[in-house]
Amino acid sequence: MSIYTLGIDIGSTASKCVMLKDGRDIVSKSLIAVGAGTSGPQRAIAQVLESAGMKREDMDYVLATGYGRNSLEGVADHQMSELSCHGKGAAFLFPEVHTVIDIGGQDVKVLQVENGVMTNFVMNDKCAAGTGRFLDVMARVLEVKVEDLGTLGAQSTKYVGISSTCTVFAESEVISQLAMDTDKRDIINGIHKSVASRVAGLAHRVGIRDQVVMTGGVAQNTGVVKALEEALGHTIHTSPLTQYNGALGAALFGYQRYLKEHQA
Amino acid sequence: MSIDVLLKEFQEVSEHPYKVLSQYKAEGKKVIGVLPYYAPEELVIAAGMVPMGIWGSNKKTIALAKEYCATFYCTIAQLALEMLLDGTMDQLDGIITPTICDTLRPMSQNIRVAMGDKLPCIFLAHPQYRRPAFGMQFTVDQYTNVKKELEKIAGAEITDEALRGAIKTMNASRAARREFVKLAGQHPEAVSAVLRSAVLRSAWFMEKAEHTAKLQQLNAELAALPASNWKGKKVLTSGIICDNPKLLQIFDDNGIAIAADDVAQESRLIRVDAAETGDPMMALAQMYADQDYDVLLFDEKSSENRRADYVVKQVKESGAQGLILFMQQFCDPEEMEYPYLKKALDAAGIPHVKLGVDQQMRDFGQASTAIQAFADVL
Ligand code: SF4
Repeated sequence: MSIYTLGIDIGSTASKCVMLKDGRDIVSKSLIAVGAGTSGPQRAIAQVLESAGMKREDMDYVLATGYGRNSLEGVADHQMSELSCHGKGAAFLFPEVHTVIDIGGQDVKVLQVENGVMTNFVMNDKCAAGTGRFLDVMARVLEVKVEDLGTLGAQSTKYVGISSTCTVFAESEVISQLAMDTDKRDIINGIHKSVASRVAGLAHRVGIRDQVVMTGGVAQNTGVVKALEEALGHTIHTSPLTQYNGALGAALFGYQRYLKEHQA
Repeated sequence: MSIDVLLKEFQEVSEHPYKVLSQYKAEGKKVIGVLPYYAPEELVIAAGMVPMGIWGSNKKTIALAKEYCATFYCTIAQLALEMLLDGTMDQLDGIITPTICDTLRPMSQNIRVAMGDKLPCIFLAHPQYRRPAFGMQFTVDQYTNVKKELEKIAGAEITDEALRGAIKTMNASRAARREFVKLAGQHPEAVSAVLRSAVLRSAWFMEKAEHTAKLQQLNAELAALPASNWKGKKVLTSGIICDNPKLLQIFDDNGIAIAADDVAQESRLIRVDAAETGDPMMALAQMYADQDYDVLLFDEKSSENRRADYVVKQVKESGAQGLILFMQQFCDPEEMEYPYLKKALDAAGIPHVKLGVDQQMRDFGQASTAIQAFADVL
């Protein structure tokens, strides 16, 4: 009989679920673009179960992670920090991984992974610089969609430095660039470089070793990925599953815990 | 009394220092506020008054103090001024303002200006060359000045005999606290991280002799416990202060015990004692000279990284598996020492995590994630 585990990642800005069969095959996944404290988690869970045609009772183990991981009492069998889950998920997608850079909605984490296990990590302090929130704010000021930032930035022809790492100061820098009629695409490119330099600074604290994998929502932004590759001097690997990485790790841990509990 | 009852009593004091202050005042005692770091509380006790430590606040918000402070002042210093301005400390009879870091130095003047005639402010400048004869003399001169000011407030002279008595009282307090730190590390089931902090924090608010008596009772109970069978992880905490119950609750929720600490509010300031015989003023100066391994103290052999090595040794001896550093936002002495600490920890293969904190933090979601993940790494 197959073993089904469900990983739920409740982030600050999105809720994600991954259902795994036998700790190996992804059966279904879901993503709702609102996170902790909203209806997002419940909707994401309902969706992932529905698309697999299964119920909560069919799940052998449910493990919650992410900022809102403690809010699922009664649903989850266990909860773990998203850092451990991100390390786990990345090692599943990229068995050779040694460094994971995760840029989420409100934090940046850099993990060192050894044989699939997280051995060290750093997180940003409580400031929004370099996070997904930073890009959201900038996209709003520039009146573009956050998902278009990557494509637009790639069309930049001129270097524009956005020197402030502070979101508030950078916002006014961007506004004055706009007032000077600077091309939005150049500003966007500058913003990506600013995020990259901030994240690279953090990454150097744990040390960077190939393979370097980037996860979290911001990994979808090709502009940031490219700027970060330049700043680090390492190739960065991403996956279309990157946003589900935490939930994937949670489902994998769920599988491990299930086996352990049922062996004993 | 049982361990739990004793712990609860310490917690009550730790959480309500204002009540304690009011009670001392109602009993007709004079109370002197003591800002960090290394103020000779002995002098206050010898003057027949009660020293009460001021370590910011985990409950207040900085509002009035903003008028006086640059935004990059640490919250400990800003909240001290806040409580002086908002009336919380109106009952104090005086305050000692040491000036050992770049924040406290200007802060001492802010406090003086803000208090005007309302509260006597006693300025104290410790020398950084604390060991050579001229440094010792400087400390004695400074302490003599503090002593004179305290005598004015007390309305009586501080005799050498009273001072020797106060040294004994403080030595006993320090010894009991050191013993407690050891026992709490050995019996984490009996003393949670939250209550461990409450015991050490309350020492700054209670009359020392009373605190010591109660703590000796608690220590005896702890020492009589059977050997612990702790299944969780153990860490050493480091930093200036780590006394927010919500933050410490994360330790308890994740089965992480504090094996020992390198925290200023807890162990850093109570490592050495003063001689109980001889010239008592010289004994106090000598005690300050004997202090060591602190980010705030000048080290003649700074190239040897002695402080970081000392912390590494503490980790090993306490049986901790890693170190959690609480970095006070904008505390430059701590920030500047961090690279050296990191270097020594890395070299010794000791995992650590650095968490930025300040006393205005009300949400510990991110800290909780980091601490939980750190426990996974250990
Ligand atoms: S926390 Fe740091 S900056 Fe603030 S008073 Fe203490 S040593 Fe000075």
